[in-house]
Parts: sequence; C-alpha cells; structure tokens
Amino acid sequence: MSHTSSAASPRRLLSPATGLPIALLVLLAIAGFIQPSFLSARNLQDILTQAAPLCIVVIGQTFVILVRGLDLSVASVMATVAVIATAFNTTDNAVLPQIIALSLLLALVVGTINGYLVVKRNVSPFLATLAMMTVLQGVRFYYTQGAPGGSLPSALRFLGTGQVAGVPVNLLVVLGVLAIAAILLSRTTLGRKIYIVGGNPRSAELVGINAGRVTIFCYVTSAVLAALSGLVLVGFVGSVDNWVGRGYELDSIVAAVIGGIALTGGRGSPINSVLGAIILMLTFNFVVIVGLPVQAQFVIKGLVIIAAAALFRRMPA
Amino acid sequence: MNGAKSFRAISNPPLAIASVALLVLIVTGFVMSERFGTFRNFTNLLEQAAPLGVLALGQMLVVLAGGIDLSIGAIVTACAVAVAALCDLYPELAPLILVGTMFLGAALGAINGVIINRTGVHPLIVTLGTSSAISGVVLLYTMRPVGGVPIWLEDAAYGATLGLPNVAIIMILAFALVGLALRKTATGHALYAVGGNASAATAVGLSVSRLTLLAYSASGFFAALAGIYFASRTGTGDPRVGDAMTLASITPVVVGGTVLGGGVGTAMGTFVGVALVSVLGNVLNYMNVSTFAQWVVQGIVILAAVSIYVDRSRKL
Repeated sequence: MSHTSSAASPRRLLSPATGLPIALLVLLAIAGFIQPSFLSARNLQDILTQAAPLCIVVIGQTFVILVRGLDLSVASVMATVAVIATAFNTTDNAVLPQIIALSLLLALVVGTINGYLVVKRNVSPFLATLAMMTVLQGVRFYYTQGAPGGSLPSALRFLGTGQVAGVPVNLLVVLGVLAIAAILLSRTTLGRKIYIVGGNPRSAELVGINAGRVTIFCYVTSAVLAALSGLVLVGFVGSVDNWVGRGYELDSIVAAVIGGIALTGGRGSPINSVLGAIILMLTFNFVVIVGLPVQAQFVIKGLVIIAAAALFRRMPA
Repeated sequence: MNGAKSFRAISNPPLAIASVALLVLIVTGFVMSERFGTFRNFTNLLEQAAPLGVLALGQMLVVLAGGIDLSIGAIVTACAVAVAALCDLYPELAPLILVGTMFLGAALGAINGVIINRTGVHPLIVTLGTSSAISGVVLLYTMRPVGGVPIWLEDAAYGATLGLPNVAIIMILAFALVGLALRKTATGHALYAVGGNASAATAVGLSVSRLTLLAYSASGFFAALAGIYFASRTGTGDPRVGDAMTLASITPVVVGGTVLGGGVGTAMGTFVGVALVSVLGNVLNYMNVSTFAQWVVQGIVILAAVSIYVDRSRKL
C-alpha cells in the first residue's frame, strides 16, 4: 500500500517534538478564551481520564506502526477483554487472577497470530488484523449471544475510576506504560532494533537483526496494551456491551498520525502519539464546550487527520 | 489453444483457487438444501450480491492503482441520504436528482484523489479522514432516516427484466464494462502499470495523478450507485446504511486475488470473490449457522485467501 515517495523539504523549526506541545497550548488557549471553564482543573482532569484508554492503545499502535504495520484488531481485543472481565458476574476480587490470566492469554494469542501472519505469511497488516477483528467479533457475539452482561470485580472499578492521592488511577497506568515504552524504545537494544527494522527491514537482516521476531514482538505489545486498555475502559464505564472500545482501532491510528508518526515505519515516538491522543480528545471536548453538535466531531476529526498527516510529511524526522 | 488457456489458469492461481472454492460451496449448497438450487434462490443471491459487487468493483480499481478506499461506506450513505431527501422535496425532478447523485459520488471520490495527489499522504489516512468528515456532515444533517423516493424508483429497485433482477443486470454490465476497459484500453493497461510501479510508470510518461484521480472517482461513482439502490429499495435515506460497506467491499477484492499494494488483479477475480462471499453466506444460512459464527467464518476466509495466495506466488 505504499503510495508515498518521501521528499521531505527542510522546515527545521517545526517538528512533531516541538509542534505538538505548541499545538496543544494553542488549542488550550483558544478553548479557554471561548469558555474559561474549559481550563478548570476539573475539566482538564476529566478530559485526561477519558483519554486514558485511548492513550494506552495508541502506545501499542505506535509499536506496530513503527515496524510498518497497523493493528485494526485493538478495539476487538478491548471488547473481548471487557466480556472476559464480566464473565464471572461477580464483584468479588477473588476472580481477578483468572480475568488477568485469560486477558493476557487472549492478547498473547492474538498478537502472535497477527505477527505470524504478517511476518511468516507475508499478509498485509491491514488484512491480517482486519480478519482478526472479524474473527474476535464473531467469537465474542457467539459467546454472549449478542447480549453480554454481568458485574465486574471492584478492583477493576478502582482501576478505571479510582484515585490515589487525588490522582486518577487510570492516569497513573498511562504514565507507567508510557514511561516503560519510552525507555524501551529510546534506551534499549530492542528499541533500537525496532526503529532499524521499521526504517529498513532488509538492512536490519543484514546487520543480523531477526526482523521477524522484532515485528511479532510489536504486534504482541499492541495486543497486550489493548487488553490492558479494555480492562481500564470497562472499569471506567462500569458495564459491558459488545462494542466496548468501538472506534478505537481507527482513533488510535488517527491519534498516532496527529502525533507525527510515519505510516512508512521507523519514525515516531510513544510520547508524541500520546500527545496526539490528548489533542484528539481535547478537540472532541472542545466541540461540545463551544456548543456544536456532537456529530461535528467527525468532521473535525477527518479534517485534523488529513491536515496533520500532510503537515508532518513535509517535516524532517 | 487449449494449452494457452490452461497456462493462463495456472498463471492466475488465486482465480483458480477461488473458483474451485466457489464450486465446492455450490455443491455443498445443493447437498445441504433442496431450495439452494432453485431459480428463485439464484435470483435472490444475485440481488443480494449486486450492491456489494458494485462496491467491490470500485474498491478493486483503487487497489489496482496502489491505493485503498476507506470512504466507500460514507459515500454510499451520503448518496442514499441525498437521493431520498431531494426526491422527497422535488419528486418531479427525480431523474435529474439521480444523475446529480452519481456526480456527487464521483466528485466525493475525486476529492480523495485530489488530496492524495496534492499532499502525498497515505491513501489509508486520506480516505479515513474524508470518510469521517463525510459521515459527520451527513449526521449533522440528520440522525435518523429521512426523505422518500418516487414509487417508480422503488419498483425499479425491486423489479426484474427477463427474469433477472434489474440491480443484478446493472452489476453484470458494470463488471463487463470495467473488465473490458482494463483489458482492452490504454487507460486500463496504464492503471496496472501505475499500481505495479508508480515511478516506472511515470518514467514511461504515464500520469500517475490522473489515473489515481480516475480510480477514486470511479469508486465514488459506484458507491453512489449502491447508495441510490439502498435508498430506492428501502424508500428512505438512512444515515447509517453504508456503515458496514467499507470493510465489506475489501473482502471480495482480496479473495478474488487482487493484491493490496496494486498492479495485480482482475474484474473476473473480483466477480468470483463477490460470488464466493455471497454463496458462502447463503449456504451458511441454509445450514442454520448463526450470524455470529458467520463472522468467524468470514475472517477465516480472508486469512485463508491471502495467506494461500501469497504462498503460491512465492513458489511460482
């Protein structure tokens, strides 16, 4: 699906690393000017809390896009994990180990199959993860017969809505995941390998990197983070339906693109992707605050993603 | 002569495999149910397959050119709503509205093409963006089904000519025309060249941007046809009618052997892909397999198709 021939004209002053915080500040300033209550600590915290599940997913999506892939199965993993979390239909925390083990198992299987198909069978990532999405959706509906329900352990409610010293737990989760991902990608050998494989898989093989294994690792990471995000989101919402996380597969790609990631691989950072997710959520919130109908979010999202992608294409790495 | 023909079949293994799979399915259908083999079921199948077929045909043109169109569903919806809303207001102008809607579809597709050509942004991102924007505009206009269509339009959508459903005739004509254009015209050959290797195509003087524009406009036009059909069939413009169409349009294309990335694929292959997907659904229905389990089967079919094809092409 490569359609791009990269011809980056040098605009040294602007890059995702400087541009994103500026965009974020400008957005906040405009929002605050129109509606001062937008900048209240309460509203900002609400926005971040709502953004938390997307932030976790976009970090996983970043790993996959860095190795020239895409993961369309993340939302289906989230919803399936949500069904697992309520399958025992109890608020008792005794079932927590089973829920975590099953969710992790699901993520490992899904991520490994996605990666295997892409690496070993040479299936396009788009199709491999699209098919995975469809299969998971079918299995989930078959199990729930279309009407899932049930209570979830109270510890998951705490994960989604609880606070520690005034800081929402789900934000702590985001920070933890982000820190690990950022360190892994920028400070470890594995991280360097991921960027090299994404930049040029063939030369990665030449310098002795097992590109296939690195790629599969990225798909497994994405699936595991999608599962974690599913637990956080179902904990946040407090109830389950068949579509928990619906739209996150595309929104996570949109967020990563707003964060300046290159779909051609090898360029991007989890911090920028998370900033992209926050900017996306801010614009959604902004639409509501200025009194536009909710549907305007779709229009704005569409325009923002094309504008961001076009802008970053002209920027140096 | 015979040798040349069988050589062609071997050199196009995806089409051969998909055709064999289709045959197996048809035989299974005959075994599983008496009603499967009836003419009535045959025309039903054709009728159900037609909108998907037309959409897959448009998607195939875009994929051949090296792109992908994720805005098909949104354009279907926009056109369905436009037809129903306008026909309700000006019933006497319905023929004009139909033509206008086809232009609307082609124009929305052309916008995709222009943005891709101008910005160089990945088609996946561009069409995802336009899809979101178009759906947003439609939903701003209405959140629930609106409008209506003249009764003659509804009759035409349900009607048949010489025993064949009208909509199936339109689909078959569309496949024949596109198939011929791809094989016999310079533009058709150029489309393969552009999808196969854009820079080589540019080097031999082909206009990549013109062909990209053409492919996306065609896809938009076919989406408009499907939108008009859905509006006529249901007598209303449903702002959610196209939701599932985008991803659905990709399956037959891929199952029919068109390679994501461009340059390889045929109208015949996509036709077999559409037939395969439709007959599969039909047979599973006769076997009383639930919709949910059918989704699982659908996903596995995509995976089986793409991984078998790739393996074959490597061996050959």
